[in-house]
Amino acid sequence: MSNKKNLEVNVHHVTRVEGHGNIYVNVEDGIIERCEWNISEAPRFFEAMVVGRNWNELHHITSRICGICSIGHTLASLKATEAAMGITISDQDLKLRKLALHAENLQSHILHVGFLILPDLMDVGSVIPLASSNPDEVKTVLALHRMANDMSNLICGRTTHPQRLIPGGFSKIPSIKELQNLKDRLKSSVPELEAVANLLKTLAPKIPDFVRETEFIGLKNPNEYALYDGKIASTDTDSAPASEYLSYTNEYVVPQSTAKWAKHNRDSYMVGALARLNINYDKLSPLAKKISGLFGLKPVCHNPFMNSIAQLVEIVHSVEDSIKLINELESTGLEKQSDYNLPNLLVKSGQGVGAVEVPRGILFHDYTYNDEGVCTKANCIIPTNQNHGNIELDLKALLPQILNKSKKEIELNLEMLVRAYDPCISCSTHAVKIHFV
Amino acid sequence: MKPKVAFFDFAGCEGDQLQIANLEEEILDLLGQVEVVSFREVMKEHSDNYDIAFVEGSCTRLQDEDRLKQIRKNASIVVAIGACATIGGINSLKNYQDTDVVKKIVYGENAHLFDTYLARPIDAVIPIDAYVHGCPITKDEFLHVVKSLLLGKKPEIPNYPVCVECKKNENVCAFEREEFCVGPVTRAGCNSCCVNEGTKCWGCRGLVDNPNENSQKEVLVEYGLSVDDAIDKFKLYFGWEKKK
Amino acid sequence: MHTLSKEAFNEFVDNLIADNSLDVVGVKSKGEKFAFGPLESANQLRLDYDVTLLPPKKYFFPQRETLLTYDVASGFQAKDPKESKFKIIIGVHPYDIMALLHMDEIFRETKSDPYYLERRYASAIIGVNIENVSESCFASSMGCATIDYGYDLMLTDLGDKFAIDVGSHKGADLLNKYAKDVKKAFARDIQAVGKKKTEIINASKQKFNFSSELIPEMLGKFYDKDGFWENHSDQCLSCGSCVLVCPTCYCFDVTDNPELSLKKGERTRTWDGCLLEDFAKVASGENFRNTRAARYRHRYFKKGKYLFDRFGFVSCVGCGRCSSNCLPDIANPVNLFNDMYSLSLKAGFQIDSATIPDISIKTDSTIQFAPKMATIVKKVPMTSNETMFEIKLDDKTDLGHQPGQFVQVSVFGVGEAPFGVSSSPTNKGSFELCIRKLGNVTTKIHTLNEGDKIGIRGPFGKGFDSEFLKGKDLLFIAGGLGIVPLRSLLNYVLANRKDYGRVMLLYGCKEPRELLFGEEILSLGERDDIEFKATVDWCPEDEVWTSNIGVITTLIPQVDFDPQKTYAVVCGPPIMYKFVIRDLKSRNVPDDHIIVSLERRMKCGVGKCGHCQINQVYVCKDGPVFNYSDIKGVPEAL
Repeated sequence: MSNKKNLEVNVHHVTRVEGHGNIYVNVEDGIIERCEWNISEAPRFFEAMVVGRNWNELHHITSRICGICSIGHTLASLKATEAAMGITISDQDLKLRKLALHAENLQSHILHVGFLILPDLMDVGSVIPLASSNPDEVKTVLALHRMANDMSNLICGRTTHPQRLIPGGFSKIPSIKELQNLKDRLKSSVPELEAVANLLKTLAPKIPDFVRETEFIGLKNPNEYALYDGKIASTDTDSAPASEYLSYTNEYVVPQSTAKWAKHNRDSYMVGALARLNINYDKLSPLAKKISGLFGLKPVCHNPFMNSIAQLVEIVHSVEDSIKLINELESTGLEKQSDYNLPNLLVKSGQGVGAVEVPRGILFHDYTYNDEGVCTKANCIIPTNQNHGNIELDLKALLPQILNKSKKEIELNLEMLVRAYDPCISCSTHAVKIHFV
Repeated sequence: MKPKVAFFDFAGCEGDQLQIANLEEEILDLLGQVEVVSFREVMKEHSDNYDIAFVEGSCTRLQDEDRLKQIRKNASIVVAIGACATIGGINSLKNYQDTDVVKKIVYGENAHLFDTYLARPIDAVIPIDAYVHGCPITKDEFLHVVKSLLLGKKPEIPNYPVCVECKKNENVCAFEREEFCVGPVTRAGCNSCCVNEGTKCWGCRGLVDNPNENSQKEVLVEYGLSVDDAIDKFKLYFGWEKKK
Repeated sequence: MHTLSKEAFNEFVDNLIADNSLDVVGVKSKGEKFAFGPLESANQLRLDYDVTLLPPKKYFFPQRETLLTYDVASGFQAKDPKESKFKIIIGVHPYDIMALLHMDEIFRETKSDPYYLERRYASAIIGVNIENVSESCFASSMGCATIDYGYDLMLTDLGDKFAIDVGSHKGADLLNKYAKDVKKAFARDIQAVGKKKTEIINASKQKFNFSSELIPEMLGKFYDKDGFWENHSDQCLSCGSCVLVCPTCYCFDVTDNPELSLKKGERTRTWDGCLLEDFAKVASGENFRNTRAARYRHRYFKKGKYLFDRFGFVSCVGCGRCSSNCLPDIANPVNLFNDMYSLSLKAGFQIDSATIPDISIKTDSTIQFAPKMATIVKKVPMTSNETMFEIKLDDKTDLGHQPGQFVQVSVFGVGEAPFGVSSSPTNKGSFELCIRKLGNVTTKIHTLNEGDKIGIRGPFGKGFDSEFLKGKDLLFIAGGLGIVPLRSLLNYVLANRKDYGRVMLLYGCKEPRELLFGEEILSLGERDDIEFKATVDWCPEDEVWTSNIGVITTLIPQVDFDPQKTYAVVCGPPIMYKFVIRDLKSRNVPDDHIIVSLERRMKCGVGKCGHCQINQVYVCKDGPVFNYSDIKGVPEAL
């Protein structure tokens, strides 16, 4: 393979948050003419759609931004509304919401690591061939994924567009018996998770050794591995309360993209599991820390491909922390609530920001309400949007390092890089058309 | 020969394809009956040779119409999945506002870079053979529709309101809990899942064939809403249907 | 009568719960309301409830249940009706006990429902006298606020103890086995129960201004009352809430649910309701009760008149659930009947108590939900849309039908649909169905081939009385697909030609290519023992037609017949009857010389599911063949 080659790579519909993403690469005589990350998804205008709607509908509407992390969107939305109106929730509801977030992180991460990353590392196109070559591993992943989905169903009502999460708390809560059953399943999943970790460890040498220094942003909380709550923290700068999110995200529009991009201290920054791990490493649960050590993953890691390993670490953390949360609920006992709970809330005007760590990174919802509780202004900043700039800069940094590889390998490496960011399930699995001209 | 099946998405959240991916073990049974030739959620390969196309999401741009028409040309059966595709869904909320204003709210000075028109269900662009309603769809109804199509049968979708399922599930009526519910005019088939979970019906499956809207609005007013607020309840999901 | 202290009663209930061979359910709170549900402890019981969301009917006739399973390879297997556990239902109010007694008769009559009845046998009802009367309850107006039978045990709350009336051996056994410290009631306890019952009767806020015995007669005067039903039903949401929560409603739908393999599956029945828009809609798209007013009226007539005429009771117990579950508040029978009564007074109607009909509830057999396996032995296309199927039962028996009867045909995974048999019973060994592609079952059946398996139930219904018609002149009038059931009788008559007088056949269809049984029918014209005339509504240019052109009624003046000796046998699309009957009557044919065969949506085939009901008449059971004189007063019929 000559170094001085001509190459045109058009990777259509690689990624999408709210949409389809494409990679455009054009190499003339070995010189990179163009390396671009382009979002072509039909824009959906959620920030405009919610204007004029009532405070008790916002979480329902904005959940529909993303089917994959609808629990996260619902929670960010509820937190924004509650912040705007000064609504507080009980300690019990707080724990249940943390369980809801763990459930979503589990289902999303297990799907990503088990079904999308594993095939890459095992040199197959999808999980389907693995079903016959590695049935035990596939069954384990399926069982873990089912457990995560059942957990979402139990806490939230369903896995996608959850019904039970409402302003001020929950419309319905699980029984203590159901929570105990869940705890037993979580406990019995630990050895299975260790088996998956050991399998991944044997495949770890296939993870590309690529480093580009960048900034990581995520929530930070002095008491725990921050997911539901915390200050905005950066590996480059000081932290700040969530209400100051705009000074971190600095969204801007690029012509080739229907999604907005973001930058903070550098030309781009990264959010997601790796960012969280880089910021919150000390607060990982014991086994999660051990798994992290198994892969030599320590802060600050600048290899974006390690995001998948960070997700594996977070899976273990979520399982352990969920067990801990259920233990706490058990020890205090569940406070009974009405079968169709509708918290009596005082509606008032105000502005509030909700920041939550969802599977793909930090998510912000920011609402302004008038006296009647009608939304007059809204802003939602989505994790993958914050990653777009970093993805493009990574692509630009990676491409020169792999130009001497075969077309197939270049294609795979570019795809793997995008997949590592886990922009969204569809983007990461995709049916990518790649044209080498 | 197994029918070839393909999945496509337009403006939407992909939550419906996720429900299909979430079939888990059952997806293997499904693969025993159909050959999936395109499904970005679970596979890399893609082909334009398919018999049944499942389409998720609304059409929100003129440029998407061509893609839809091509799908219609390729497939012998086109199925709309999820509220965005079947009735326009949440997307049609933006139809109540001026398109230029909407663009400006989201993209500011760069609004001119983005094109959009009234969000619409798929059947506003191409004829549709079957519907899997809901936001999101349920696995059970998706499988019901798939099995019906495989048997050569028109899928039977309820033409009665959600109240029917609510009564069978012995729920306490949302109106008796100071909630405002559009279940009495919304097509059933969801097994009243939102009310079962302690809330109310939002209308994601669209209107029944002959809804008694006046009565529903009077009920909403009777239970304490202003006339404007009562009409507003119909906007969340019925935006496109009401325009027709 | 006995008494149990509250502590001893709780112990009694906890002992029942502790016995794993029992399934103990009772009234618990749900939100601000109440519902029957499984009991984990006696403490959950709320015997002070006003009314439950759903009546205890759900334990005998569940919202959804499997009737049979099927396997394409081996056929249909009815579900065993036996229950695994004996059920104890604690806290049933008297009106709900009365409702169960109504349901018992309905599910027992003629063909008994094995699933309902087995569950009734394998259960005990522990009733409780009403402690708090709900806002919408009018049970005392219906004579159901208290009850003296129909329970195994009946509780009355006397403050620190329950008075317990033993209503059956079952009840006595339960008390013996599971209760301790059962005391004999003192006279003052018995007196207290009596006083309480009187208080309950007087506590109803909702009352009729008249005696409920007037309901059947009064309804009879209001069927066509101008605007009455429209005004009352204008706000109807067609949501079916009123009928779904009703303790005496029993209509159901039946659907097939295949497994993903498509090789196996189950057939389930679910609650249905006559207030729902598509309840009486058939595959051709015809909706036989297509206005809100007609559906709304049907509910009142079914409860207040049709069931009264059939069973001798107005099938309402006054629980008030319909009223409290109706959002636009139009379902309250008290409001409707009081309005009706005051209008009756204004109009000066004379209304008497209805005479209790002479009834005898008989069970002649059990409903067979599982079809017999059968094989398509011949498939003959008739037109582009209609095909004739010759079918043999796999057990090699004859169908044993009368001309005019119908069968229910099952197609695996798709479901069941009714078809009139088109062959004469004189053809032994097999029978014929002529099927038009219209809905799911018919479309699927057209894709089947010779050798393929289907399921058959039946024959059902009343056919033509071929004995009675002997010696009479017969005028067959068939429109379109109406020839199908008539052909069965016609061929029977032709096979026994000497037993009958003149035979005339008038047959019309839309255009020549839609003519059914083409050569067979046209060859009739060559016979001298039958007078045959055919017509088409129109003839397109590319088709040939040498006979009459015009609708079916244009043929009637072309035949000469003696109206006193002639019986007209009529079958065709719904629109046809009115015009044909008008013309026959103008030729002086007496009403009882006109015999019609009708089509409706039929699901169960045995007069239970309610879909085929035309006013008080069940097409599947009382028909499909009717003498016109019997149904001319049935407004929904023609």
